[in-house]
Amino acid sequence: MNSIRLVSVVPQVFAQQNNLDSEIWNQDIKFEKGQVYLIEADSGKGKSTFCSYIVGYRHDYAGKVLIDDQNALNFKVQDWVDLRQNHISHLFQELRLFPELTAFENVEIKNKLTNFKSEAQIKEWFDHLDIADKLDAKVGRMSFGQQQRVAMIRALVQPFEFLLADEPISHLDDSNSQLMGEILMEEAKAQGAGVILTSIGKHIALNYDKTLRL
Amino acid sequence: MSLVWKLLKQHINVAQFVGFFFANLFGMFIVLLGYQFYEDVMPVFTSQDSFMRNDYVILSKKIGMGSTVSGRSNAFTNDEIGDLKRQVFATKVGKFTSTEYKVDAHMGINGTEILNSELFFESIPDEFIDIPLKNWSYKPGAREVPIILPRSYIAMYNFGFAQSHSLPKISDGLVGMIDFNIYIHGNGHQQQFVGKVIGFSNRLSTIVVPQAFMDWSNAYFAPDGHSDPTRLILQVDNSADQLSTKYIDRKGYEVENDQLQTEKTTYFLRMMVSLVMFVGLIISLLSFYILMLSIYLLVQKNAEKLENLLLIGYSPGRVAAPYQWLTIGLNVGVLLIAWLALFFLRGYYMNIIETLFPEIDGGTMFPAIILGIGLFVLVSVFNIIAIRRKIISIWKRKE
Repeated sequence: MNSIRLVSVVPQVFAQQNNLDSEIWNQDIKFEKGQVYLIEADSGKGKSTFCSYIVGYRHDYAGKVLIDDQNALNFKVQDWVDLRQNHISHLFQELRLFPELTAFENVEIKNKLTNFKSEAQIKEWFDHLDIADKLDAKVGRMSFGQQQRVAMIRALVQPFEFLLADEPISHLDDSNSQLMGEILMEEAKAQGAGVILTSIGKHIALNYDKTLRL
Repeated sequence: MSLVWKLLKQHINVAQFVGFFFANLFGMFIVLLGYQFYEDVMPVFTSQDSFMRNDYVILSKKIGMGSTVSGRSNAFTNDEIGDLKRQVFATKVGKFTSTEYKVDAHMGINGTEILNSELFFESIPDEFIDIPLKNWSYKPGAREVPIILPRSYIAMYNFGFAQSHSLPKISDGLVGMIDFNIYIHGNGHQQQFVGKVIGFSNRLSTIVVPQAFMDWSNAYFAPDGHSDPTRLILQVDNSADQLSTKYIDRKGYEVENDQLQTEKTTYFLRMMVSLVMFVGLIISLLSFYILMLSIYLLVQKNAEKLENLLLIGYSPGRVAAPYQWLTIGLNVGVLLIAWLALFFLRGYYMNIIETLFPEIDGGTMFPAIILGIGLFVLVSVFNIIAIRRKIISIWKRKE
């Protein structure tokens, strides 16, 4: 896939608001593969809602979400499964890790599905992000910042044309944010993918092609 | 152990699954047992008499207090027989002829004498005997006489005698082992015959010899004797069943027919087995309900994990699979144990049945195997669909 396009998309909860001042909602906007986007917004503007429309776990909107010019509303379950497995990687704001599994297992459970990365590569990332000592620690016992890094590694062990990172560094210090940005961009470049980051102010310093206000 | 299973086995309540397992085991076992038992026992009642067709009826006159005291004959007169022959329902009428002379018989099995008695023979016209004529023919004067024994003799022997004398039990296939020696004297003649046992009859409660032997021997050993037949055999046109019943009632005749008895017995047997199977099915149904509740509860408790798995790219089918395999595994376990238990129990009761009715063939566990597989597939398919739907509902909750 090459593009994600939102045509006059308005979340149903915002339908009554006439003064919707947004560069995404109720606009015609296209996200291209290979580009880096930053979406900024205050909380409550619908950042996570935006992400959930694109990966198809919410459909409560008016307008059209077009994935490669195909209306996402017509996607079948299997289409979404394929999209989530092979085309759009999503780093959830709420992380959605499994607290009963170790950090490594949390990544492995995804990698088993895609068989995309080697164990060595995964361990290298852990090392790089300074959480190598947490490989076998239960995720439930790790700090949120550490969990964010595990979640990012999990987001990278799949092929994708778009990486959707929802407030990826909210609990990270600057140096860790920088590290994360490097790994993320490196992987996105390697795959020729587009990157869409959301932020409520604090964001990774990257060369964004476009910054949008939600 | 797969990571998905490691995640999804969280919150599995072992007690609930053990409860399901045993409930389902009992249900399955009862259903299979009922069906298997029915299939095993039914032939005992429905096995047809190979010597007499089912539409043959044996008639006699009622022997009441009156006739015993007054000495009134219970034989059929020629008028009565003629009247019966004129009835539309009577397609064929035959007379029972008895011996007018004395018979001494010695019966032995495998050389061991088991019966030594004075008795009598009866015969019915050959057309009523349903075996090839070459086995049922007699040339006047010949030494060998074909005979048919009542099956009750054999039951008596198998149960009473064989057991206590450690002799082999006799079944239809082993009639050749019976030695039957016959001594007849009368009218100044004396002769020895050898009875050749053709088989056993459930419906003819008498020792039957060919009509040809009867006619010849009566003329030879007791030329002066004659008695009227006390029993008649007739073929009844089934379409005129009502008529025949009315006629027989009106005349005060008695139908010597265990067919009715058999029908009653099979009816009750069928009813009982149905009842037992029904109870088994109810138990199975309830256990299925327990399983579904457990699974639903499990899915509910693990809803968040399931949702997360779906969101990171697992398909509903793949997420449902561990629970589906879990239920299939339980179902397989239940089926195997139920079969095993049935195998042993069946061995026990078949032993009894075979002693009682040696002519019944051993049968197989096929009915239970087929029914078991059928139930297993049915229950498993329901399980699989129910779990799949539950997972899909989790997928859709975000919609």
